[in-house]
Amino acid sequence: MVVYPAVELVRASLGRYSITGLYQGAVGLRNYRRLLEQEALSAVIGNTVVWVVGVVAITILISLALAQLLESAFPGRRLVRWALIVPWAASLIMTAKLFVWLYDYYFGLLNRLLTATGLLARPVDWLGDDGTVMGAMIAVGVFVSLPFTTYVLLAGLQTIPGEVYEAARVDGASAWRAYRAVTLPLLRPALLVAAVLNLIYVFNSFPIVWTLNDRNPGFAHDTMITYMYKIAFKSALRDVGLAAALGVVNVLLILLAVVAYLRVSRWREEPV
Amino acid sequence: MRQQVACRPRVIGDPAILLARPSRRSAESSKTYTLGENFCSMGAMRMSRRLVVLALVAAGALVAGGCGGSDKPRSIKVVIAEYSKDHTRPFWQGLAQQYTEKTGTKVDLQVIDWNSIDQQVSTMIQNNQPPDVLNLNSFSSYAKDGLLYSANEALSPKTREDFLEAFARGGTYRDTLYGFPILASARAFFYNRDLLARAGVAEPPRTWDELVQAARKVQATGGDAIGYALPLGPEEAQAEWSIWMWNNGGDWKSGDAWTINSEKNVQTLQFLAALANTYKVTQVNPGKTNRTDGAFQLFKDGKVGMVMGFSPLAAQLDAEKKVNYGVTQMPSNTGTAVTLGVEDYLMAFKKKGNQEAVRQFLDLYYQPDQITRWITAEGFLPVTKSGLEKMSGNEKLKPYLAALPSARLAPTTDPVWDKVKLDVQQNIGAAVQPGGDPKQVLDRLQKNAAESAR
Repeated sequence: MVVYPAVELVRASLGRYSITGLYQGAVGLRNYRRLLEQEALSAVIGNTVVWVVGVVAITILISLALAQLLESAFPGRRLVRWALIVPWAASLIMTAKLFVWLYDYYFGLLNRLLTATGLLARPVDWLGDDGTVMGAMIAVGVFVSLPFTTYVLLAGLQTIPGEVYEAARVDGASAWRAYRAVTLPLLRPALLVAAVLNLIYVFNSFPIVWTLNDRNPGFAHDTMITYMYKIAFKSALRDVGLAAALGVVNVLLILLAVVAYLRVSRWREEPV
Repeated sequence: MRQQVACRPRVIGDPAILLARPSRRSAESSKTYTLGENFCSMGAMRMSRRLVVLALVAAGALVAGGCGGSDKPRSIKVVIAEYSKDHTRPFWQGLAQQYTEKTGTKVDLQVIDWNSIDQQVSTMIQNNQPPDVLNLNSFSSYAKDGLLYSANEALSPKTREDFLEAFARGGTYRDTLYGFPILASARAFFYNRDLLARAGVAEPPRTWDELVQAARKVQATGGDAIGYALPLGPEEAQAEWSIWMWNNGGDWKSGDAWTINSEKNVQTLQFLAALANTYKVTQVNPGKTNRTDGAFQLFKDGKVGMVMGFSPLAAQLDAEKKVNYGVTQMPSNTGTAVTLGVEDYLMAFKKKGNQEAVRQFLDLYYQPDQITRWITAEGFLPVTKSGLEKMSGNEKLKPYLAALPSARLAPTTDPVWDKVKLDVQQNIGAAVQPGGDPKQVLDRLQKNAAESAR
């Protein structure tokens, strides 16, 4: 089931297609060469790195805190745990559309809030200004990735037996020291799962970048996934073969990233 | 069971394999297709990807086994763009039903929203499963690829002769009619009466100078009042740009040559950049504002003095009753107001044995009551002589019908346009952003167009 689309993707990347989608014969590696010639490519790769690293890193940091919070007993914990699932259950496109309205220059709640409290002197066009688009998208990416990540880490926390903390306390470790020396190392498997799955998921994420960036001309804020879609259907290139070539590159890249990440983290696991 | 599976091209919507399946253009391919169509009528079902593969294997096995189909298809696939949630599907469903009752041929109707129709149609063609009848806003690339029946092949003489001259011309590729006009629309200049009155503007502007004056006065009323809402974001930038360009005496092409970076056009784009950055009478970031959820939304909210709209916008404004608006002709820099007419198309795809079935379907749609009933419901303009006769009494359509004689069409008859349009959508907005360079942007568009034309 995994192999079939992959084979077809590679085959498509070796073909030439008319703008209508009509197959016009094999062209070997021409699409890959053309891909390297695309002016936008370097900016798109840069965006992809910022997008993936930004979302995954911030998500994990916040999730660590959230998981810790949800692990400790407090009144209403059950409610908060449920509430956290909401962004997970909502459709990504609906969530993205909702944020488009929150960010809106004229109607958006965010600008109203920030100007009313005096944090901003004048409204900001969050999705139009080149300086703020990526940050605005990353914030939404984090928002939708939090539930899953938090629950993975929460599950990880619950596997840590209470006795190890007791032992740490007996040894006179501070709470912070215990967190660093006990919790984090024992949480490593959960962290690894959260990071790898998020890496793949965020890299492949289409709806958020597509919806929040749809007003901006060109490719200045595209990731490799939205760029692939634009090459195939929304730019003057309109070329399914070229887009398939980028698709192949995307798959290889994400495989490479995951393998590299796993190696680095396993290497760290080895005793010093 | 296997046979049911073998026919349903539901894979089309699956993004994972959207790019993944090149067509197998073998000698049997058309026969495969006919087979699939026959089995299609046996049952419709959604299926998983696993089933898709099974289906492909099964279909291949059947072809290899030499199982042949009859020439007359038992069903035809009709793909229609969704103009509105309320009217599009009900009308075409009704039409399909009548067609099936009349001919015994079933209709596999797919109504697809505008955002994904290009992608889905492209996937159908990649998979060698094109529709029999397709509704879209472009046709010439399909004609160029040799996929279509001409009007002589797919329409009765009576239907062919009923098309309004200009729209028939707009569907012609190399002197042959391939893009059958399905409906039309024309843009008009919308203004907020209350806002203009408050700003002390007595009459809507007729010239560009008057437009700047009026927009400045609206802007000066304060709050977040916007003089003119200029949508040059990717959604429909080519439409907005066409109107400005023509009203300054410029054009896309001169004869066979593209003239996107003509002196006139550079001047026009510089004027639009000035509206945004010098006079500051537009909404924020006009190069990054789309039409539907940007400019129109602001106008519907009463924030905007003037905007270029069309009849569906009027329908929404009438329904919401929030804005007291007027509709008039475009302000012109040459003394002659020009507007943009947009024509959408029906195309008939050449497939073995489907010609008669397709012709019957198209002739049914083009019966004057049918086509007029739908166009009226959707709020668009007629494309046939009989339709124009029937609709000319409609008060609401008056401003648009009046604008039709001065309406011009984008060069949709040139396959290069299908790329130029996308290029303009993706790039022209950059010219009106602060620091943008109109001439450089147009030079580039011109270069790309000339290269595509070669």
